[in-house]
Amino acid sequence: MTENLNHQPYIDLKGIRKGYRIGKESIPIFSGLDLTIARSDFVAVMGPSGSGKSTLLNMLAGIDSPDGGQLRIGSNRLDQMGESARSSWRAHNMGIVFQFYNLLPMLTAAENVELPLLLKPLSARQRRVRVEAVLDLVGLAGRGRQYPALMSGGQQQRVGIARAIVADPALLLCDEPTGDLDRTSADEVLAMLAFLNRDLGKTIVMVTHDPHAARQARRTLHLDKGQFSEQRSAA
Amino acid sequence: MSSTTRQTLVMLRANLLGLPHRLAISVSMALSVALVVAVLTGFLAMAKGFEQALKGAGSPGVAVILGGGTNQETGSEISPDAIRAIEAMRDDLGVVRDAAGNLVSSREIVVPVDLRLAGDGTGRTLALRGMDTSGPSLRDGVRLSAGRLFRQGSREIVVGDRLAGEFPGFRVGDKVRLGVIDWTVAGHFSTGGSAFESEIWADLDAVRTGFDRQGQVQSLRLRLDSPTSIAPLKGALSAVTGTPLLAIAEADLYAAQSGRTADLIRLFGWPIALLMSVGATAGALNTMMSSVSDRTVEIATVRTLGFGRLAAFAATLAEALLLSLVGAAIGIATSWAAFNGWQASTIGANNAHMAFQLSVTADVMATAGLLGLAIGAIGGALPAFAAARLPLTAALRARR
Ligand SMILES: Nc1ncnc2c1ncn2[C@@H]1O[C@H](COP(=O)(O)OP(=O)(O)OP(=O)(O)O)[C@@H](O)[C@H]1O
Ligand SMILES: [Mg+2]
Repeated sequence: MTENLNHQPYIDLKGIRKGYRIGKESIPIFSGLDLTIARSDFVAVMGPSGSGKSTLLNMLAGIDSPDGGQLRIGSNRLDQMGESARSSWRAHNMGIVFQFYNLLPMLTAAENVELPLLLKPLSARQRRVRVEAVLDLVGLAGRGRQYPALMSGGQQQRVGIARAIVADPALLLCDEPTGDLDRTSADEVLAMLAFLNRDLGKTIVMVTHDPHAARQARRTLHLDKGQFSEQRSAA
Repeated sequence: MSSTTRQTLVMLRANLLGLPHRLAISVSMALSVALVVAVLTGFLAMAKGFEQALKGAGSPGVAVILGGGTNQETGSEISPDAIRAIEAMRDDLGVVRDAAGNLVSSREIVVPVDLRLAGDGTGRTLALRGMDTSGPSLRDGVRLSAGRLFRQGSREIVVGDRLAGEFPGFRVGDKVRLGVIDWTVAGHFSTGGSAFESEIWADLDAVRTGFDRQGQVQSLRLRLDSPTSIAPLKGALSAVTGTPLLAIAEADLYAAQSGRTADLIRLFGWPIALLMSVGATAGALNTMMSSVSDRTVEIATVRTLGFGRLAAFAATLAEALLLSLVGAAIGIATSWAAFNGWQASTIGANNAHMAFQLSVTADVMATAGLLGLAIGAIGGALPAFAAARLPLTAALRARR
């Protein structure tokens, strides 16, 4: 349904090659992967363990780089960027949600959410207002002073989502965001992602093992043996 | 505040809040830095105290004439002929004369004497200086702190305050056996803590008789008209035939001696401190490597959010520097409390016992403190580099 209007897909991967070297041997994961994702799409990526889902997501996040091929997001050629350029690209364009939340245990929920804002030219007051707003958005109003260890998994993941969206990035990447959650918490998180996509227009790429989770997405891609097969959701 | 500074500060904050989890290893790093700093402070304070004791001893306004080709009192010898020749000089030598035009001078001799300590059989070698009655007046800053000076020709001694404080047998009026003679303590003198306070002064002839040194003179002291006017005296001395004579400002005489000994103390102290630093640096490296490895996921996470490599580097280095700063502060504080003003003694001038105080001065603390910080900087650099270069994908996978 989201055929892009300006004929330019938001994310464009062409002929991506990627492998890992173990000792002398190079194990190829992708040898010529193509993928386009339109702006404001919500894509689920499924596939067997070891098929390269996380590797793909890490390349989209700019923390891993392809061995060959083109990787464009918006107007940026990530495959041509150096480490510091990618670092600054990450700060301004991408939010990420981890399976195990990856919150800093020594910092409060609010301080964790504030981290991406430290990279922006905002005053402490402006940062606090933003943090409170997103904590409110994820249903954790007033919980900012709590430490992650005292929160349930579902709450921690909502802090993780708040941290991912606080700097208002266009792209949201999630690697098995519900993989560690019970059904109820998982549903809350999925509903939140659906809301961010539908109402705030975020482009979301979500890796998941869970068909139920994948049904929240507009598109589901199956990754196997380094290639995609697609299946569109009814949603 | 720049973005990198903000990133560094929040990472540093998370590091420091995480310290309780690494308490033992972090404390051991700080303590090993403290130990190195304390040891170096001790040696430097000793050298400094020694220098201060001898620096106060010498006056630039007093000339010491030595004979026999030596530049220290030990081994110096001035013949009676040479003394007569000097006293006979009527030219302007740039030195003080009395109303009758005679030189105000003090012929002196230093005899090492063994003082038997009561109780155990141990002894201490002290310097007994025989001098003319003008001798005390030829020293700057001498003050009689008890009793009176020795009388000419009598077997009386005056004892430096520091010696008097150290040995109970030197009360005014006490009899002390030095050599084969009993001497009476006539008084105590102070020279503001300088090396002279470790000496015993007595009449020249009494000392020469008591130790069978008749006719001997080691040095001749004269007061200069001004500190810059030693040249005429030197010139006049070169005309004296017989033994070679040397005129040297008293300040220079002691500075040369203190320099040698203080350098020796430092030469001994620095290698020990540096050797210990190598161990402490290895400890710091280990502590900080473990800190980075504990924080692998955290560092990779904030780097994924867009934090820079510089912030990861700076936060780790700052943690190392803070730990070593705490260690240096502990080291300086304990050594100051333990050593400052501590009495020490060594073989000083004239091969006799010399007492002085360890002196923990600002520059001693700064030098030792900087060594402590250097340990943190060097030990923290490699782990900081590792933190900056952390491979993000591997670090994030490590959690699973
Ligand atoms: N840093 C690495 N070094 C060596 N091999 C790696 C590395 N990262 C990934 N691999 C290998 O690449 C392949 C793809 O890994 P990836 O993590 O992308 O799979 P995945 O689809 O996310 O699997 P899972 O569903 O288990 O998370 C696997 O065979 C994995 O062992
Ligand atoms: Mg994976």
